[in-house]
Amino acid sequence: MRNKNWMLKAVSVISVAALSLTALSACGSGGNAESENGRVYYLNKKAEEQESWVKLGEAFEKETGIPVEIQVGGNDYDATLRSELAKSSAPTLFQADGPSFMSSYMKYAKDLSDSDIYGQLTDNYKDRALTNDEGKPVAIPYATESYGIIYNKALLQEYFDASWSTVKSIEEINNFDTLKTVADEIQNHKDDIGGGVKGAFSSAGLDSTSAFRYNFHLPSVPLYYEYVDDDVDMNKVPSSVKGTYVEQMKNIFDLYITDATVEPSALSGKTMDDSIAEFATGQAVFFQDGVWVYNQIKDQEVADEDLGVLPIYIGVDGEENQGLNQVISNYWCVNSQVSEKDQEATEQFLNWLVTSDTAREVISQDMGLVAPFKGFDEEQYQVDNPLVNANREYQEAGKTDVVSVPTVSHQWEQDLGSAELNYAQGTGSWDDVIKVFTDNWASEYALAYGE
Amino acid sequence: MSEKIKHGPFWTAFFAIVSLAWIFPLALVLINSFKKKIYISTDTFSLPTGKEFAGLFNYTDGIEKTDFIQSFGWSLLITIGAVLVILLCTSMCAWWIVRVNNWVAKTIYLLFLLNMIVPFQMVMFPLSKMADMLSLNTPWGLCLVYLGFGAGLPVFIFTGVIKSIPQEIEEAAMIDGASTMRTYFTIVVPMMRSSIISVAILQTMWIWNDYLLPYLTLDMQRFKTIPIAIQYLRGGYGSVDMGALMACLVLAIIPIVIFFAFCQKYIIQGITAGAVKG
Amino acid sequence: MITMTGRVIKRWWPMFALPTCFAFVLGFVVPLVMGIYLSFTEFTTITDSEWVGLKNYRRALQDPDFLHALLFTVAFTIVTTILINVAAFFVAYMFTKAMRGAKLFRSVFFMPNLIGGIVLGYIWQLLLNGVLAHWDISLTYHAKYGFVGMVIMVCWQQIGYMMVIYIAGLQNVPGDVMEAAAVDGATPRQVLFRITIPLMMPSITVCSFLTVTNGFKLFDQNLALTNGAPSDTSEMLALNIYRTFYGRAGFEGVGQAKAVMFFVLVALIAVIQNKITTSKEVQA
Repeated sequence: MRNKNWMLKAVSVISVAALSLTALSACGSGGNAESENGRVYYLNKKAEEQESWVKLGEAFEKETGIPVEIQVGGNDYDATLRSELAKSSAPTLFQADGPSFMSSYMKYAKDLSDSDIYGQLTDNYKDRALTNDEGKPVAIPYATESYGIIYNKALLQEYFDASWSTVKSIEEINNFDTLKTVADEIQNHKDDIGGGVKGAFSSAGLDSTSAFRYNFHLPSVPLYYEYVDDDVDMNKVPSSVKGTYVEQMKNIFDLYITDATVEPSALSGKTMDDSIAEFATGQAVFFQDGVWVYNQIKDQEVADEDLGVLPIYIGVDGEENQGLNQVISNYWCVNSQVSEKDQEATEQFLNWLVTSDTAREVISQDMGLVAPFKGFDEEQYQVDNPLVNANREYQEAGKTDVVSVPTVSHQWEQDLGSAELNYAQGTGSWDDVIKVFTDNWASEYALAYGE
Repeated sequence: MSEKIKHGPFWTAFFAIVSLAWIFPLALVLINSFKKKIYISTDTFSLPTGKEFAGLFNYTDGIEKTDFIQSFGWSLLITIGAVLVILLCTSMCAWWIVRVNNWVAKTIYLLFLLNMIVPFQMVMFPLSKMADMLSLNTPWGLCLVYLGFGAGLPVFIFTGVIKSIPQEIEEAAMIDGASTMRTYFTIVVPMMRSSIISVAILQTMWIWNDYLLPYLTLDMQRFKTIPIAIQYLRGGYGSVDMGALMACLVLAIIPIVIFFAFCQKYIIQGITAGAVKG
Repeated sequence: MITMTGRVIKRWWPMFALPTCFAFVLGFVVPLVMGIYLSFTEFTTITDSEWVGLKNYRRALQDPDFLHALLFTVAFTIVTTILINVAAFFVAYMFTKAMRGAKLFRSVFFMPNLIGGIVLGYIWQLLLNGVLAHWDISLTYHAKYGFVGMVIMVCWQQIGYMMVIYIAGLQNVPGDVMEAAAVDGATPRQVLFRITIPLMMPSITVCSFLTVTNGFKLFDQNLALTNGAPSDTSEMLALNIYRTFYGRAGFEGVGQAKAVMFFVLVALIAVIQNKITTSKEVQA
């Protein structure tokens, strides 16, 4: 009995202590690291770049004493950003990926027209910054990226050398029909190439975390050709689209899902990681993706010199002259709702990122980002990786860049991805894809920009 | 109940097989945690041998990527802190409500009953906003939030018990000159012992595993609990590190198994008591 | 009416009642009232709300995903309530009789309850996707796989919990009543259906109520296992509400309106359950 009393006393003492702690914390508000120099909190979107940003954050903190916190936005950047912005220690720096995303965060985006970072932009990219209603720049593009169909040169060479192949050199693959011939033949002879590949294309993973390759990257090709035909401003979002070339998009999409490493029914659970793994271990010859994926492919089974990139041919007249897709989907925005000091610190951080030697080195060499700032013109800060080089070659050869135009909203992209998935699985038709492409564009435009 | 009816070896064998099937998912995660990540989704059911074997890499990698040790610490702190605060405060409040029993007490009691049926989604937005505005976005602040949002069930269980305690004992103690606090801690609390354990178990199970409330309330830069850390492994842009995920799942389950092994009796008692009254 | 203890401790309210009530007002009463108010407004933070009347409710009811989630949740709740209770009752019934190893089996069945929803979701994602890979599909191929997957997972988790409650209930059924019945020549089946189950009604009500509420409120498992894929068709109510809130700007009010409707639904179930319990008690 004595014993029990002792225990009860101990428990109550601990509880009272715990309670007073909570009470204290409730009163002593503002326990945040409110340093004199302000703070930087960057909510980063790209998990694969997180390590490098953290490294840069630490370096900046060491140099200036301004505390820097870098967090990765997780599964759903939009949702995380929304809940983080609502908190008192909100991100001071966040990312946008295009005008539709920007439009819902406009009131958090600081006017950067007088900022150093805007001044650092190279002249031909100044007008690529996203603007607010008054036309002031609020989101600074920090990386231009190109993408296409990455291929394994060694495996493709085996195909060219084979007795049964119709196409004999890479130069011949400059339109959709040839690409289809190659892919079909590889698929039919998949055991004869590279000691047995699993398919011509790596899996077109349509898991919700990975579908952006097919609901944003891919549709930009038909959208681009439509905009060219109709003379639409590629920096803006039109109120409706006609879907002129969606039928051509079906060509390439069919190729992705039939000449592939997996059955179409398995696509819903496949991620980009799976796809990368297949390509990087030599199980697939082709793989639609972009320069950013280089860090995940290198040092595995495919040598650097075996990496090549083809444009995404969909079967449009004149596509022999097509180059790679060029996308800007990474912008920096400074949160206008945090304290002056924090904003200043953040701008200082941004400027440091594009001017200091450390940061330029990490950004161009480790992350491999092609950054459109003056400080990156110097030779040693040019990105040197086979995927970026491939793009440079296309541009130098005078091929036409495909501008990846912004889509109307993320909801549209998600709906398109769902329709594509249903089509791939056989639970929906291509007509549904067309319907989403055009009808949902208009309805999403009304929701996002209307009223 | 009479022991006359006995089950034969058939049922023992039957349940032995079912039990094995019951453990299988956990065993599968354990096995896969030693596999290299690219083989986990392709060869889920094979043993991690040969080139598939990853050793402890997934564990070191997972612990590093998620700051698992830290998350574990915060989870532990939040759970213990919140449960202690809830036990102390709600039991005292329940005693006050039962013994005072005027219209104020009755109204408060009804509100607590309402609390039991309100789903978290109903209050999640205003609650997380307020918690943030009041700087309750720390583990200590979260204890207070848990006390507020989770008070209904404990108060309900405690009032039920206190109603069955005869007042004469308390009165006798007070007449003997015991102070109110003394009466409460030496007379009332010991009589509530089993329900205190019951509430402690129920609240521990809830808070330790809770995801959404801490996710929306805590300052994510500094504090992550285990469920949040695990959910974060499923990052954006199609990168799901299956290897680290498996290792973290195993690490998240181990403390639970230990807790269960040591407190099984109390857990089962607690749930039964909680359910019969709830 | 007020007693001596009552008179004495009434003065002690700052010590006894205040801490809980203070936290309660902060953590529940104010958010609840604010939540109801906000459902009639448009807002992005709680300070910039603008009254719009019933617009949010109209938009919520026009959302096909919401209605789908509602149906999905109802179907899921019915299936799991039946499966879990039947299975748990059976297991409890078997375990209350002498059996070699019953104690160990009981522990095994109970254990999954202690594992949190997020962790559970990923455990089963691994297992189910591994199995489905044989047919070249995955859990997110079609909502029916997500549905079945979640049913299996939730059964795995909750059967042990309900079993514990049923065992306690069975142990409280007086043995002599059953013995008397057996002596009177009743078959074991008759004893079970005519005597045991009626006497077990309180436990059955409690367990059904718990499974129904758990089904309606399911969130973590849904988030981790399928996250609503494909095309939000495996999305349940709680997840739908969460994603309406945080998924998209301009829909916070709609999310709040959905949450209010969700609350009304859950409250209704609780009231019905309460009615059933009390009426049963009167009969007994």
